[in-house]
Order: sequence, then structure tokens, then C-alpha cells
Amino acid sequence: MGHRDPRRLSRRQFGVLGTQVSGAVIAVLLGIPIVGFLISPLFRQQQAVWRKVGDIAGVPDGEPTKFEVAFPQDVWTTAEENLAVYVVKTGDNTKVFSNVCTHMQCPVRWETALHQFLCPCHGGLYDINGANVGGPPPKPLPQYVHRTDGTTLFVQNRFTEEI
Amino acid sequence: MIALLALIAPAFHGLQTQLPAQAPQGNNIVGAQIAIGSLFSLHILIAGLVSGAAELGPAIEFLGYVRQRRNYDRLAHGLGRFITYYFSVSSTIAILLITVLLVGFWGHFWTTIVTIGWWPLFIEAWTFVLQVSLAYLWYYTWEPMRAFKGVHMAIGGLLAVASFLQVYMIDVIASYMLTPTNPQNPVRLALNPTSYPLTVHRTVGNLAYIGFAFGGFCAIRYLRAKTAENKRFYDWAGSFGLLWGVSMTLLQPVVGYSYAKEIQLHSYGSWYKMMFGSLSPVFLWQITLLGIMFLTATLYFARRLRTDEARGSGILKLLAVGMVLTTLLAAQPYALGFSYETVAAAGLNRPFWDGGLINPLGSMIPWKVLALMFYTLIAIAAVVWYLRGLPGVVWGSARRGEQRILMLMTILTMLMMVTMGFIRENGRGPYLISGEMTIQGQQAVPSAQPTPQSSP
Amino acid sequence: MRRRLSAAYEWFDERTAIRSLLRKGLYEAVPVRGAWFYTLGSATLVLIILQLVTGIFLTLLFVPSVTEAWQSLNYLKEHDAFGSIVRGIHLWSAYILLFVIGLHMVRTFFSGSYKRPRELNWVTGVGLFVLVLGMAITGAFLPWDQAAYWTAVVVTNIPAYTPFIGSFIRALWRGADTVGPITLSRTFGIHVWLLPAILFPLIGAHLALLRKHGEFGSYINYRGAYKSREGVDVPPAPAQRPIEPPYPAAPSEELWAAPLQTEDFYPHQTFKDGIVSAALVIVVFILAVAIGAPLEAIADPATTSYTPVPEWFFLPLDELLVLVPQQLIPLVLVLPTGGVLLLLALPFIDRGPERNPFERPAVMVPGAFAVLFVVILTLLGSGRLFNL
Repeated sequence: MGHRDPRRLSRRQFGVLGTQVSGAVIAVLLGIPIVGFLISPLFRQQQAVWRKVGDIAGVPDGEPTKFEVAFPQDVWTTAEENLAVYVVKTGDNTKVFSNVCTHMQCPVRWETALHQFLCPCHGGLYDINGANVGGPPPKPLPQYVHRTDGTTLFVQNRFTEEI
Repeated sequence: MIALLALIAPAFHGLQTQLPAQAPQGNNIVGAQIAIGSLFSLHILIAGLVSGAAELGPAIEFLGYVRQRRNYDRLAHGLGRFITYYFSVSSTIAILLITVLLVGFWGHFWTTIVTIGWWPLFIEAWTFVLQVSLAYLWYYTWEPMRAFKGVHMAIGGLLAVASFLQVYMIDVIASYMLTPTNPQNPVRLALNPTSYPLTVHRTVGNLAYIGFAFGGFCAIRYLRAKTAENKRFYDWAGSFGLLWGVSMTLLQPVVGYSYAKEIQLHSYGSWYKMMFGSLSPVFLWQITLLGIMFLTATLYFARRLRTDEARGSGILKLLAVGMVLTTLLAAQPYALGFSYETVAAAGLNRPFWDGGLINPLGSMIPWKVLALMFYTLIAIAAVVWYLRGLPGVVWGSARRGEQRILMLMTILTMLMMVTMGFIRENGRGPYLISGEMTIQGQQAVPSAQPTPQSSP
Repeated sequence: MRRRLSAAYEWFDERTAIRSLLRKGLYEAVPVRGAWFYTLGSATLVLIILQLVTGIFLTLLFVPSVTEAWQSLNYLKEHDAFGSIVRGIHLWSAYILLFVIGLHMVRTFFSGSYKRPRELNWVTGVGLFVLVLGMAITGAFLPWDQAAYWTAVVVTNIPAYTPFIGSFIRALWRGADTVGPITLSRTFGIHVWLLPAILFPLIGAHLALLRKHGEFGSYINYRGAYKSREGVDVPPAPAQRPIEPPYPAAPSEELWAAPLQTEDFYPHQTFKDGIVSAALVIVVFILAVAIGAPLEAIADPATTSYTPVPEWFFLPLDELLVLVPQQLIPLVLVLPTGGVLLLLALPFIDRGPERNPFERPAVMVPGAFAVLFVVILTLLGSGRLFNL
């Protein structure tokens, strides 16, 4: 072996190289589709849909009122899921809040006694304008993109700001 | 036996449902308040020690048995002697509080609280009986039962359980007064929103307190000790007491913070008073005092290791510097006036550079929370490095300086206990039972909690 | 007949060497004293096998789909008494497994068994602990009732607080921005395939390492224990009897290399193992029949009356979520991650030869603090949830 030209591959080195290359080829050919499969849902655009919430003429001023809206679940299933929206009217101004807490996305509820939105999971508090005023939530309560047609409210399955 | 008595107790309970509309009232309300305040402080200072000793003593005895160390046995025996001496003093004050002051001055309140907290108070009374009989048994059978150490330790264990139960039962009442729940349901009563945090806070606190207290006591005995053996023992016991006290105290920031969190959710008015209102200066003093306590302990650790040139004294000095910085951060006042409430009332709730009186570096979130976290972390590091250095320490060689620190530590701890008691007793004001009964009128007023406002 | 059987056994042994395998497996030496504490490991194994078996049979019915997962389990609850027991066993043995594996870990920690040459036993054990926790959390998503749904929402949202790549990790697990059909499919796959595929080989490695170095046991089995006796300054003389394999555990310090007294694994240790495991399985069975596995109302994202309550083993972390203020939320990731990293590093930090827990306070005390903090957070968390 020693008298061989060191610049040339020995039979043994060739064997080692061949094994490693074969392994790498298999790993790459398997890996690319698997990683692509895993992250592909992240690049899918969610379809924007408008849904009717209902007539908000009866919503009292300064008191959040809960409505339920059905949105498509947006993958293969045709089933829809109900989401809760809180409609808050203050004068002419209408805000449509989601009930998703910005801390851990638990379901927020309006507590009349506290006059605040309370997240029961970790005690997050939001005031009537959705500002995070107590507990751990880092951001204000998310608002839905909405429009009104007379007194009929429509919302889109998107928030005005990312959470 | 308790279970048996508990079974027949409802029969007596039925007799109690008729309340007098108005009990005779004391004339001098302020005088009574001062009397109650000072007597309660005294009660907390002594009762905390007795119940801490009754929980820690058996644990030390067990440790001594497992490790086959005579020092631990002697220390546990000493704690047993302390309990037998001071149990009667402690319970005399407690009974004085109940009979003379509570029943005498605030009869209506007392009747109400007995009706609400019948079960806890009933068990509480029996834990006293259990505690005293077990404590005397435990102490006086020490030598005779040396051959039956297992049985003796079991008696000690029962004593510890009785003492814990005693603290828990009175905490049920005390926490109910701050965060009332439906008193008809005994489980709701026993597990009211602050009963867990208060019980953990107090039990851990009592355990820390007894450690610091016998640390200071042993320091005095060390300085007066004549024999080499006594010097060895008191030096070791003082160090052990401080080490134990710090180890327990460093659990308190987490428990205390959680306690405050429950008060915020369930008794907003009291919380506001403590954080932003008239009690906030006391709270600031308390968090500063906590830092001073940790700092003093770290200094003891560093000095004790240096005396015997054991390793780790340098790192402990560094930790002490970190503790000074943390204490300075914790001591930052949020409002540069009496309290946030007064500053806000004057319309000056702006940062000081905008001409206001607010110091953003003193805000609870995140600065005080960070300070509390650093307290805990630095204290853990200090305890660990002291333990690492301990094999290099020769007991009996401590200097006067270390012993003075131990005594100072005892005084700081007592200050802390009084401060905590003051905040607790005044946090509910003007209510005796939060939202239901006031100090002055003693009338049950309809639930009128202050409306929560956005916390700044 | 007997001769025939014995001949068949000879035939089989000639081709598989089963006899020497069995002999090696069964008649190995284990330390004598404190043997009841060593049953925690085998109890963990038995409970994991219980999980595997009941889990396999549950997949014969369960449909991992947001529209049908709850229905399939509701069918089980309403119409299939034995199936309900199987699901009950799956749930309760998981709960008890978490408890027992925790005790097993604490026992190992206190006895100092992780020291040279058994560092990798400990490291694989920490890996198993994390995997079992992962199994428990992913399993909690699957029934798609209210409890499961909100657990899924909160748990998948925690990694979102990782700096820079947080929302990417959350979306990777959820398969979308919000919890939905892909979340359930992915979590199901992780629960029944991905994690078990790592878990079971790791169990093999853990057991192989155990057999290689022998059970350490406790310091009381060793000559080094003399130090905890006051007034004894010299270690006792080495044992006169021959030391059985796998002892001495090499390379280990002389005082801690071989136990003073050993006995055969079978039937002495297996007797104790059997008693403890059987007792646990009986408890699991009783709980499965008497209480069973609860199934709440079907998941409803629009609820404003339901209060999500975490699984009990999640309580310390949930209480942290309450206590940690908004600017410091990533702490709830840092603390558990840091804790696991510290656990992995433990045998490489605490390298001294001493095994007696009372002689190693610099390790025991921080460990005790960690346990205390977890216990206190659990207490505070349960008190808080009770009063919601």
C-alpha cells in the first residue's frame, strides 16, 4: 500500500467515499420532498371571505355584544367553524373584536361586573376599547376587518393586525 | 379523635345560626385599633416562631438520624425546649386577642366570623390541644426514647402536621377576610382564592423565620460559649439557621408575587391600595428590606468562608455586589410622591422628564419583577457557593463580625414580619371582611368593591 | 412428552442461543439493599408497554379528523363499554406513568447513580422523560373536545414566543396560522409514529446501558458509605466474596465500583418489580373502570363561557404563564429548556466520586429548589383554577 501514489485514491478510500456519497444522495432525495411537505402549508394563502354577522341596530351603546360567525376551515374539509366576535358601539364608532387573547389565544369574555374583557386562562384584562390593561397579554385585543351595509355588519376572516 | 368530634360538631353549629343584630361596641375605636395592631404584631412574632420550630424541629431530628450527626439532634432538642417554653406565651396572646379584643370590641365581627368559619376554627382549637400535648411528649421523651428513635420521630412528624394544620386553618379565615367566597360551601371556604398562596407564603415564612431567629440566638450563645464543644456547636448551628432561612426566603418572591396576583383578580381594591395607594410606600420598603436581608446573608456567607480561607469567598463578594445593584433597582419608587394615587390625583402622572412625578424605572412590570427574579437567582447562587465552600470551614473559629451579622439578620427578619403583618391587616381597610363588613360600622354592607380601573 | 419438549428446546437453542441470552438476562447480579426503590424503573417500563398496547388498539377506532375525532370517541363512550375501559387505561396509565417516571428520576438524582461510568444512562433517561412528556402533551390534543382543543391552542402558541422564528414554529406545528384540521393530523402522526419511533429504541439503549454497568442502587450498598457514620474514618475492608459481573462497574472509583452484597435479578428483584407493577396496573384498571377517560363537549372556538383548564402535569408551566409579565414571556420557554439542558449536563457538572446525597449538598440543594418550585407552582396553579 505504501508505495502507491498518495494523490490517487486507494481501493479502500474509494469504497469509503462511495458509501458516503450513496448515503448523502438517499438523504437528499428523501429530505427535499419531506421538508417541502412539512412547510408547504405555511406558504398557502388563506382565502379571504366576507361573512354576514347580522343586524347590529339593537346593539346597546358602550356594551360589547357577542355574535357568532361561521368561517370555512379552509383545507380539505367543507365543514365550517364558528368564531365569536364582540361588537362594540361607542357613538358612531363600531369596533369588531375577536375573542382571541393575544397572550395564549384563549377565549376572552366580556365581564360586566369588571367592565373589562377577561381571559380566564391567565387573567389577561382588556378594556372596552380592546387595550390590554392588565395581566400578561402583550398586545391589544385583535379586531376583524369589517364593513357595514346599513345596520348589517359583515366581517372578513382577517385581523386588522397580525397576532 | 378529630374526625369523631368533627362528626358531632354540626349539632353545635345549628345553635349558632341566630346572629345578634348589633353587639355592644367599644367606645374607643382608635385605642382598640392600636391595641389590636400591637397585640397582633406580637402574636405574629411569637406564634410564627413556635409553629416554625414545631415544623422544622422534627425535620432536623430526622436529618440527624439519617446522617448520624449529634449536632442535628442537639439542635432539634433545643427547638423542642423552645416550643415547650414559648407555647404557653404564644397561646396566651392568641386567647387574649380573641377573648378580650375581638369578642370585647368587635363582638359582631367575631360572631360573624365564627359562623362563617366554624369548621376551620373548630379544627384550629383542636390543633392547639394536639400541638401542646405532642410538643411536651416530643420534648420530654427525647432521652427515654433514644432506643426507639423511629417512634420518637413519628411523634415529631405528628407535631409538624398539627402545627401545619394550625397555620392552614387560621389562614383559611384570614384569607377569607381578604377574598370572600360562598361561605356555605366548606370546600370553597377552605380553598378560597388566596388561601393556598397565603398558607404557602406563611408556612415557608415561618420556616425561614425560625431559622434566622435561632441563627441570631446561637450567635449570642457562641459569643458567650466557654467550651470548645459549645463553640463548635453554636458556630455550626448559627450558620445552619441562616442557610436554612435564606433557602426558605428565596422561595418567597414567587409565592408572594402569585399571592398579589390573586388579590388583584379577586380583591381589586386591596390590591390597588397596596400597589398604588396608601400602602404602596410600605410595599416599596418591604421589597427593599428583602434585598437588604439577602445582601446581609450573602455578606455572612462571604465572611464566614473568608475566616477559614475556604474557597468561594470571592465569588460570594461578587454576588453581594450583584445583590446591592438589584436592591437599588428594587428600591426605585414609582411615584416620586407619597403614592401613585396622590400623584395621579394631582395630575402629575407623567414621567419626571415631562414635568410629572413618575419614575418609569420603579414600575412593577417589568422592573420589580426582574428585581425579584434576580433576588431569587443570586440567593440560590449564594447558597450553592456557600455550600461548596463549607467543607473548608472549621466550626468554632468564627469571629465576632459574623455573629453580629447573624444577630442583625434576626432583627431584619422581625422587621419583615411586622411589615408584612401591617400590610396584611391594613390591606383590607376600610373592611374587616373585604367588601362585606367595615371596621367602623360593623354592618354588613352590600358587596361594593371599588371598580377596577386600568392599571397604569 | 417432556423429552420431546426438551429436544425441541435444544433444537431451538442450537439455532438462536436463547439459553445463554436468558441466563444473561435473568441471573445478573443486582444490589440487595433498597431494592424496593429500584422497582420504579421497571414500573415505568411496564406502564409504557401498557401505553403501547392500549394505544395500538385505540387506533383501530379513532379517526384523526376535526369533524370525526370527537364523534368516534363519543361512540366509544356511548356504545362500547370495553373500548371505554381501554381508553381509560390509556389515560390513567399515562397519568401514573408521568408520576412514576418523575419519581424514578428523583430517585436516580438523589442516589447519585448518574455518575461515572453511568453518565449516558442518565442522558438517555432525560431523553425518555422529555419524550414521555411530549407523548402526554400531544396525546392531550387528540380527543378534540373543548379541553383538547384549548390545550392544543395554548401549547402550540407557546413556541410562538421564540425570538425571530417563533411564528414559524407555531405555523409548522399547526399547519396553518390557527389550530385546524392539519394540526390534528400532524399531532396524531407525532403521537403515534414520530415520538414512539424515537422512544422505543431509546428505551433499548437505556436498558442495554443499565445491563452493561449494572444497577448502581444506593450509597448504602457500598464501602464508601462509611463517611456518613460519625467517628468512622477508615473504609471497611473490601468484600471477601468474588465480585459478580457486571460488577465492578469500570471505570469507577474503587469505593463505589461494586456493591457489598448482590443477589440474582431473577427471581429476587423481579419479585419486587412484579409486585409494584401489578399494584400499579390494578390501580390503573380500577381508575379506568370507575372514572374512565372524560370527554367534554365538542371543540367550540366561539365559546365565551368555557374556561380552559390545563392537564395537571402542565400546571407549573401554566402558573408561570400567569406570573410572567408581558415583556418577559419568552421566559416560559427559557425556564423549561434551561431545566432540560441542566438535567442533561448534570453528570458532567457533578463529577466527584461521592454518592451519599447528604455529602453532596452543592448539587442536592439546587435540585431540591427546582423540585420545590415545581411543587409550589403546581399548588398555586391548582388553587387559582379552583377559584375561577
